Amino acid sequence: MSTAVEVDDLSFAHTGADLPALERVSFRVSAGESVALLGPSGAGKTTLLALLDGRLQGWSGRVSVLGAPLDPDRPPPSARRPDTGFVFQEFALVERSSVLRNVLNGRLGRMSPLRALLGSPTKHDLEIARTALADCGIADLAERRVDSLSGGQRQRVAIARCLAQEPRLILADEPVSNLDPARACEILALLTGAARTRGATALFSSHQPDLARRFAQRIIGMRDGRIVFDVPTSELNDDATAELYREVGPIPGIGLRAVS
Amino acid sequence: MAFRGFGGIATSGLIAAAILWSFATTDVEFSRLLSAGPRIADFFGRMFPPDPTVMAEIKKGSAETLRIAILGTLGAVILSVPLGILASETMVSPAVFRPIRTLLAFIRAIPLILVAMLMVGAVGLGPLPGIIAVAFHATGMLAKFYAEAIDGVSRAPIAALESAGAGPLVRLRYAIWPQMAPVVARDTIFRFELNLRESLILGIVGAGGIGFYIQTYVRSFQYDKAASVTIAVVVMVIAIEAINVALRRRFT
Repeated sequence: MSTAVEVDDLSFAHTGADLPALERVSFRVSAGESVALLGPSGAGKTTLLALLDGRLQGWSGRVSVLGAPLDPDRPPPSARRPDTGFVFQEFALVERSSVLRNVLNGRLGRMSPLRALLGSPTKHDLEIARTALADCGIADLAERRVDSLSGGQRQRVAIARCLAQEPRLILADEPVSNLDPARACEILALLTGAARTRGATALFSSHQPDLARRFAQRIIGMRDGRIVFDVPTSELNDDATAELYREVGPIPGIGLRAVS
Repeated sequence: MAFRGFGGIATSGLIAAAILWSFATTDVEFSRLLSAGPRIADFFGRMFPPDPTVMAEIKKGSAETLRIAILGTLGAVILSVPLGILASETMVSPAVFRPIRTLLAFIRAIPLILVAMLMVGAVGLGPLPGIIAVAFHATGMLAKFYAEAIDGVSRAPIAALESAGAGPLVRLRYAIWPQMAPVVARDTIFRFELNLRESLILGIVGAGGIGFYIQTYVRSFQYDKAASVTIAVVVMVIAIEAINVALRRRFT
């Protein structure tokens, strides 16, 4: 099986930060796999995903995405970017534009720059956008403005935009943390299902162990910028999960209170 | 707590001192205020009834004021697009936006009427000095507003388009512009309203528009005609305000 993501000895610190956001991270994701990054806030999940998306520079180590190495000092060439799709926690949609316009925005990297600038998608582009909308169950919302939609509907638009990009790797940063539990299950089922039917690899982050278990074949546990465990979902035990969320020390004001 | 108490007392003391100083050093005499009543009554008496024969002058003056406001706003927009970009944190480095912002603050600090007087001296009487003055004066505010519109844009959709492989111009077109367009439209309409109001009085210094007639009629003691023109100005201001309120509702 070919490799979709290969990370070797990756370290990164945000400018001005005391502690590194990622420290000596190494893992591989095979093509077609569905993998969850599990960990508390501040574990480095968002940083890792943005880095794999080519939006962070100044790291050290070796990273290769879909068979091509990433340059630690410059963004990947734009021709390669559509191959990696990204679903954002806060949806990252243009609120005043229509649903269809937002989904077509996912096609911009696949169009010639002139066509993209003139805003004249081909029949093929429109067809792909419509299919993505239908696959996400929001074909009837195409003409609606995004600012009139609910959170669940917005995340469906964001996934449709990502699918319209025709990505071979789908990265999703906490795609359901803004949604209620029922909606969260629907969206993750949609995301992992769409990746599977398209033969794409899915790597999503979550801070909810039950969701990671349900929708990933493999779970990578992260804490303080390091990988704590990397196991198939069936082998994840509660001790490992508990260790991930163990408190670092007493919380001020609570830790000092006597427990009888 | 003690410090806040002291600060409060000091502030009250300063305000009281400022008021007393103003009374003591200005020739505010109540006898003069009392004698003003009959004079104002006389003034209003001469204004009434307003002379309706000046309709032609009102039409001509209003049209010219409108033209000054339209062309002045157009000039301000043309100047404000590049200056707004250069004054925005998101588009340029502090070494660029700091001096540009200082320049804009400086422009805002110069009163329009002063710019108009200078322009009348420079290019002569008529609407041209008015247009230049309005364009210059309005740029100080409009460029600042445009910069704030650019800086107020949400970053996430820009990152999303970058991730999808869209270049900088395409990102400007599909992620930045749709977010800032309503703000730019609202700010421009607002500035146009101000320009129209402010250019109503430009004629007083000879910079064109309806203000010229008010000045002429008051100076030649034709208060009934001045009254007609003043009523026309008031009606225009109210109409502008009403149109503006209706337009602004569309851009929120």
